[in-house]
Amino acid sequence: MAEHTRIHYQEELADLERHGLGGLDLVVTALERTMEATEHQDVELAQIVIGDDDRIDGRYLEVHQALITLLATQSPVATDLRLISALLHVIKSVERMGDQCVNICKLIPLSGHEPPADEEMLRRILMMGRQVRTQIAQAKRSFENRDIDMARDLVRQDDVVDNLNRECFHLALEIGDDADRREWAMTMMLAARALERIGDNCVDIGEQVAFIVTGLFREFEDASHPGEQLLDAPQA
Amino acid sequence: MSTPEAIAPGAPDLRSGPRKERIKDRAFRVAMLFCLAVALATLVALVAQVAVKGAGSLSGHFFTDYASSFPENAGIRAALLGTLWLMGVCAAFIIPVGVATAVYLEEYADGTKWWNRFIEVNIQNLAAVPSIIYGILGLAFLVRGPFGMGRVVLAGGLTLALLVLPVVIIAAREAIRAVPPSIREGSMALGATQWQTIWKQVLPAAVPGIATGVILALSRAIGETAPLILVGAPIFIAFDPTGLNSDFTVLPLQAFNWISQPQSEFKDLAAAAILVLLGVLLLMNALAIWLRNRYQQRW
Amino acid sequence: MSDRVDELSEEERHTEEERRQVGSGDGRRAATPEIHTAVRTSDAEHSRQARENVFELRDVGVAYSGKPAVAEVSMDIHRNDITALIGPSGCGKSTLLRSLNRMNDLIPTASVSGTVLYHDQDLYGPGVDPVEVRKRIGMVFQKPNPFPKSIKENVAFGPKILGMKDIEDRVERALKSAALWDEVKNRLDENAYGMSGGQQQRLCIARCLAVDPDVILMDEPCSALDPISTGKIEDLMMDLKERYSIVIVTHNMQQAARVSDRTAFLIVELDEEEARQGRLIEYDETEKIFTTPTDQRTEDYVSGKVG
Repeated sequence: MAEHTRIHYQEELADLERHGLGGLDLVVTALERTMEATEHQDVELAQIVIGDDDRIDGRYLEVHQALITLLATQSPVATDLRLISALLHVIKSVERMGDQCVNICKLIPLSGHEPPADEEMLRRILMMGRQVRTQIAQAKRSFENRDIDMARDLVRQDDVVDNLNRECFHLALEIGDDADRREWAMTMMLAARALERIGDNCVDIGEQVAFIVTGLFREFEDASHPGEQLLDAPQA
Repeated sequence: MSTPEAIAPGAPDLRSGPRKERIKDRAFRVAMLFCLAVALATLVALVAQVAVKGAGSLSGHFFTDYASSFPENAGIRAALLGTLWLMGVCAAFIIPVGVATAVYLEEYADGTKWWNRFIEVNIQNLAAVPSIIYGILGLAFLVRGPFGMGRVVLAGGLTLALLVLPVVIIAAREAIRAVPPSIREGSMALGATQWQTIWKQVLPAAVPGIATGVILALSRAIGETAPLILVGAPIFIAFDPTGLNSDFTVLPLQAFNWISQPQSEFKDLAAAAILVLLGVLLLMNALAIWLRNRYQQRW
Repeated sequence: MSDRVDELSEEERHTEEERRQVGSGDGRRAATPEIHTAVRTSDAEHSRQARENVFELRDVGVAYSGKPAVAEVSMDIHRNDITALIGPSGCGKSTLLRSLNRMNDLIPTASVSGTVLYHDQDLYGPGVDPVEVRKRIGMVFQKPNPFPKSIKENVAFGPKILGMKDIEDRVERALKSAALWDEVKNRLDENAYGMSGGQQQRLCIARCLAVDPDVILMDEPCSALDPISTGKIEDLMMDLKERYSIVIVTHNMQQAARVSDRTAFLIVELDEEEARQGRLIEYDETEKIFTTPTDQRTEDYVSGKVG
């Protein structure tokens, strides 16, 4: 007869996981507003995103402190310990993703109130935004379900974002000699770069999923070894 | 013994030690068994002798007839009833008084006060006083003197009770002491008073030990002859004792009287009386043990 | 792969709705971050309750035959808290605990100095009956000590001697509160000694609960038990603190870390005559004691460097 004990602690840990992953929902909100502000050059909306980042930072501090307390008072081992370690990494990623959104929003007044200089670049940036949004949802789902395959698929999704980023880069190179257009293009590259960083953070979350399940801390795809998938196929 | 096998160097040698030690061990065991056999054999021989001599006289009329000058008419009726009455009085006195004294000494008395230490020391002494002294005590205080009740059942019973009371006190103290302090603590921590703790936890748990003490006491009392002689119990009684105030005699006295008679038939009767005494003793013990077991099984 | 993307689209729609619900609350203003020290919701409720003290100790000391065992302890114990007393052997934590329900009265050589206020009443004041004190402040001991009676008689003993009514109901409620009812409801008349150690200890807790105390003192309740039984009793404590105040002495500081709200750390020190006495060093929220203790001695003890 299996006996269940430490119910309060288990519930607390589960609550904390939900609360930490809830930060991803906050990021999705911020991202959607950011993309909308980018598309419509909405300075007010951008300011709101910047202000609301305090909520994401607050969530980070809350969850971080609670995780430290759990480590100190509950002596977690095995999967619990890996979960807490993973959550510490995840909320750091959440906080960074929030900061990336802020970075993008800070650009928006700079690009002025004129219509965008290059429709192609803008289109690609909006596509990156949608793709990254999907990535965040998938990262959250894969963490909740401890699904390694779904986590590893984040790499493929991130490749899409990386490709779009490269395309934007090439478009920016050929934007021409007009100073305003060049300025616009460079600020858009910064935005694209921020989106690409958000995608990388999602892959990091996926790696944490693999860590919880396998106990092995490996990068899915190392920047220094592009194109290689380092993580072994799962043993049956 | 088989030839010794080679032991690998460094490995522990687990074979038996030197022969001398084993012989001593065995010799010790044999000696102890021998002592046990001697004790048992003595007991068996005594009982067998009495049984052989007296079994023939155990008949129905032996129990229903009173003493008589003629052996064929003599019986132990008065003596048996007297013994039973006296045991009743004795038990009725020693159980409450003995247990109460033990409870006082163990639970309430402050061991540092001089009068408590005085009581402690004297209880041990009282257990060692020769029984005939109690006879004198009974004669002086109960039969004559302040109480002046005469040579009656109550006087005899109380004399015996005083004689064996220390046994009960000592046994009850041991039994109470054996109840773990954790039981007392658990009871007090619930808000029970000391008296509630003693009455409802300590004493019930001490019942087996107290019962043993009472058995020991009554077993001693049943065979006491000298103090009852001093108290003045007559030997020749031809009626049933009717109450606490009636005259009485007891089995040991009756046996003692019969032994002193010249006729050899009386000696057989004495043996029979002793057999009956043993029988009463065994029955009393069995009753007490049954009571003790029943109490133990309840929890 | 496309299936998964479709799946996720649905997922996205769900989270979309969730977000709208979350988003509608804050409108278009920046929210200030709320930094809580812990996300335990029960603790959040806790802090909202009135912080009433169940015990106030002022310079409390306990001595045996004049030799101090514990010196000058001052602390406030809050209601519905689990307060832990930790420290090395001989620091007087059990002695201090026993002074809270006047169990030290049972030891003739013990004497208590200082003031112990229980709901603003001096526990050792003139006219205070220790029996009355113990009816309200119960105790569970280190080694389970069920009475040599049946399970039912064990739990019913307290209510019976206190003259309470509805004994059967009380027994059932107490056994349920102690998470023991399901295991014993069909064998209430069996001897209590037939139970395992963990069950016996829960029986002792039920026995304590049956008289409706206000406070439960526990003197190393799990030190004689296996880890599973210990876990069950720790879970039980967390449930019980809703209705009772609990003070626990434990030499297992991980246990103190797991269950308690506040922790008091005592040490042994040698006084002028080389006699050992206990002293309170630090008393604070458990989280603080185990993450950022103020005193170096506390830090050394909780990190296991000094025992």
